[in-house]
Amino acid sequence: MELLERMKAGISGNIARMAAAGAEYSDARFFADDRSETLVLYDGNLEGNDTTFQTGTGVRVLWGGAWGFSASSDPEMLDACFDQALANARTAARLVSVPLRMGRVSAVRGSYRSPVATDPFGVPLDEKLAFLVDIDARLGEDWIARRMVSAGFTKRHVLFLNSDGSEITKHTANVFANMVIMALDVEGRMQRRSMTLFTTGRGTRGWEMLRDPGLFGGHADRIKSELSALLGADSLEFGKRSVILLPGQGHLQVHETIGHPLELDRILGYELSFAGGSFVTLDSIGTLRYGSEKLSVSSFGGIENSPGTFGYDDDGTPEKDYLLIDRGLLVNVLSSRAMVNEANDRAGRRILDGSGGAARATAFYRAPIDRMTNVNILPGTDGTLEDIIASTRDGIVLDNPTSWSIGSNREHFHFGCEIAWEVKDGRRTRILRNPTYQGHTLEFYNSLSAVGDESTWVVCQVDNCGKGEPNQVMQLGHGVPVVRFDGVVTGERS
Amino acid sequence: MISQNTRELLLEVRDRAAAAGIRASLVLHREKSHLMRIGNNSVSLNTSETLTRLDVRVLDGRREGTHTSLGHIAGRAFVDEALSIAVEKARVAVPKDYEPILECVEESVDEAPQDDAGLADIDPAVKAGVYAEIIETLGKGYNFSGSWSSGRTEIYLVSTAGPNEACHSGTDQAFTVVLKHPGAKWELQNEQSGWMAGSVTAATATAALGSLLPLYERQPGARNEPGDYTLLLGPAAIAELMLYALYTGAQGRMYEEEMGWTTGMKIGDQVFSERISVVDDPGSDLTFRFGFDMSGMRRRPFPVIDRGRLAGLMYDLGTAAKYGRAQTGHSLESTSISIATGDGPADPMRAVAGMGRVLVIPALHYMNLPNMSKGIVTGSSRFCATTAVDGVVTAPIFSTRLTDSFRNIFGNVAAISPYAVSVNLSSTYGRRAPVAMSVPSYMVVEKVRMTDCADSF
Repeated sequence: MELLERMKAGISGNIARMAAAGAEYSDARFFADDRSETLVLYDGNLEGNDTTFQTGTGVRVLWGGAWGFSASSDPEMLDACFDQALANARTAARLVSVPLRMGRVSAVRGSYRSPVATDPFGVPLDEKLAFLVDIDARLGEDWIARRMVSAGFTKRHVLFLNSDGSEITKHTANVFANMVIMALDVEGRMQRRSMTLFTTGRGTRGWEMLRDPGLFGGHADRIKSELSALLGADSLEFGKRSVILLPGQGHLQVHETIGHPLELDRILGYELSFAGGSFVTLDSIGTLRYGSEKLSVSSFGGIENSPGTFGYDDDGTPEKDYLLIDRGLLVNVLSSRAMVNEANDRAGRRILDGSGGAARATAFYRAPIDRMTNVNILPGTDGTLEDIIASTRDGIVLDNPTSWSIGSNREHFHFGCEIAWEVKDGRRTRILRNPTYQGHTLEFYNSLSAVGDESTWVVCQVDNCGKGEPNQVMQLGHGVPVVRFDGVVTGERS
Repeated sequence: MISQNTRELLLEVRDRAAAAGIRASLVLHREKSHLMRIGNNSVSLNTSETLTRLDVRVLDGRREGTHTSLGHIAGRAFVDEALSIAVEKARVAVPKDYEPILECVEESVDEAPQDDAGLADIDPAVKAGVYAEIIETLGKGYNFSGSWSSGRTEIYLVSTAGPNEACHSGTDQAFTVVLKHPGAKWELQNEQSGWMAGSVTAATATAALGSLLPLYERQPGARNEPGDYTLLLGPAAIAELMLYALYTGAQGRMYEEEMGWTTGMKIGDQVFSERISVVDDPGSDLTFRFGFDMSGMRRRPFPVIDRGRLAGLMYDLGTAAKYGRAQTGHSLESTSISIATGDGPADPMRAVAGMGRVLVIPALHYMNLPNMSKGIVTGSSRFCATTAVDGVVTAPIFSTRLTDSFRNIFGNVAAISPYAVSVNLSSTYGRRAPVAMSVPSYMVVEKVRMTDCADSF
């Protein structure tokens, strides 16, 4: 506590010092405690028994329309860290044609705490391992070649201060878990089936998530049964048909072809050298028909239990709940303060009404960039999965990705999945191996013909979204129902 | 280099641990990183990070625990705490059904084969100056973005398994600049790599981008229908395809667990064209050179593909322990993969002069494996992709997708460049880990399946 107070005073003093030196804006994030734990049982062997502790401060200074950033683990180097960030900004300001601006906003004072019933870091290691060993034992069969059960826990205490006068504390926590089984098929090729921990959107983010059999451990027998059926199944043949995406696959579809293309820094060209751009332009906002009228997509979505829910972003903006796509029409994007100001400047009018609260950094030693929060397809009115299958003439039901590849401007994609169930004349007929599908983003979403109701809606957790230079891994969630698209290219040409 | 005080601190903790019967390895990883990002003809971000991580691994019989502390190593208490956490984790761990191996530094190494103080301490103003010159030369009417990462990585490894110390220090940089047309959406890119200050120049970038600009300005984009094509692959595309091929076909773990495309094959089997040879060569200056791996093993040239035949599988510490194989020095992120050059003409256009319509694909975007067992890879063309007809570049092409097997791509090789270049493959997901590959400057491959094409670049 003494260190926290000392850092708060030190940061406040330095922010004032930066303002006196002519900085247009500055902020600092002091990570008092940032810890993670990863446990991996692979074929029954504990191959991962890792913890990481890190602490330090990341400082941003905006001077002359350019960002300088610096980070240090040493609390005694706080002043030097601010000096370095200012020096970096001054150097950067030598080459500015589009000055970045944070604008003026009111000071925000607040705190956020993830809902947690049982802190995983307070659960004894042997108890956690016993739980995973039990699931592993349930996955083990003679015919299963490989099995893996993993769990990951994160906990973070961050103090944020900026030159607007904002002061925010965050205590965030997350739990991730996954189980995978693999076996050789009739051709001697490895097939897999997996289950990732998901949430209902409500509830908590502690150890209790894993103990709920409906969310995780209770799925072991199901995936074994499905893998068994997969091994002798026929391979999917090339052709156009309907695809029905379960949330296990639908969330990745949303992530790659709605979430990333709608990140404003990508739209403005800041990711071109690495992650790519976007087919979306500033002119698209309010005019682009992104999908059929059945497609409505939100950011945040009021989800309390998701790694994409964090209270305040790393610009100090409170989390927002808003529509990105309204009945097929693109109406907003994922954004941060500086990017919104630049977009409005470039458009010559106010096309975006303030930051979307999406500025996030993966650690104290990385600068915030525009990241997905919770990007969700809203539930529809086409009933349950079985209702949607019943109204499908020729299609496949797909679950869980094995492969994903997306064009650099996100206009086309190619996905592989673990499993497909064939649908003929409204009935599931057989399981199919090695399913893949591909498409062009706008054409694909405009072929959206069915959206499942609330009963099919699940919040899928993503723990490894990569973006930025230096690259940053971020965690978030996607609420998605069962969805059906028509006339999709599936399988590979022979 | 790692300071003498820090070395002595870690040696003291190691020796005390050994005396107490603790089996442990300690790795200090220190990075001094700098990155400048460019966007919309401006420096959008200019960063400096100095980070120190201490990794501790403890074996307690067949039980294992690992811990990493990232923070300011203020003294012995910091190291003692990290060690005690790992000791406690190992004590409680589930025992393995095989004998894990503790890292052992087989001989003392103190190396800095590629360490340039000029690059480690480069003035960011130099970087801003290079970008400014590129923008000024090629024209502010275009939109320039890019990034320039540089820094020094220091690694120090000791273990209770022996008295030796392994110490590495090296500098590296990865430079990219992307030129985007403000309206037409096409993008050109230049990448440069190296370990010395001065090896990245504005002139190299302006020459590379400037040579293609007239074509892109003059010709509309061409669309390719799905089908089989002859490809002229550039160094970035060759490097990434080979990296994926080796990851899924030549890694010991993938092979032992029958997950990769070499499942069922054996050493000596023909997997690629006879024109293809690949060596992991830590002596190659076109890669980032690491003289030891993170198990403490001295790294030496290791043949992986010999004239198209599978010559060696790469085993890391954990895989070697689990499957009872010999380690091969591959407990590391930074391999030094070198693909042999060939006897094709120096000018790639001469290599495709009599081949009709060829797709020139310098780089691929977002590769992945729709069928790992069959070694089928997919990815889409990116940056500077064009068609060439009878050795003459004719038009830019829209983003087009490749979906074919490694064996087909590297099995139908028609020509390989006589010159090698360095391709930077560093990932900055976590800690600084410089990786580069030595590859021929071009490769011509035939009958490759293209499966889709977008309506834009």
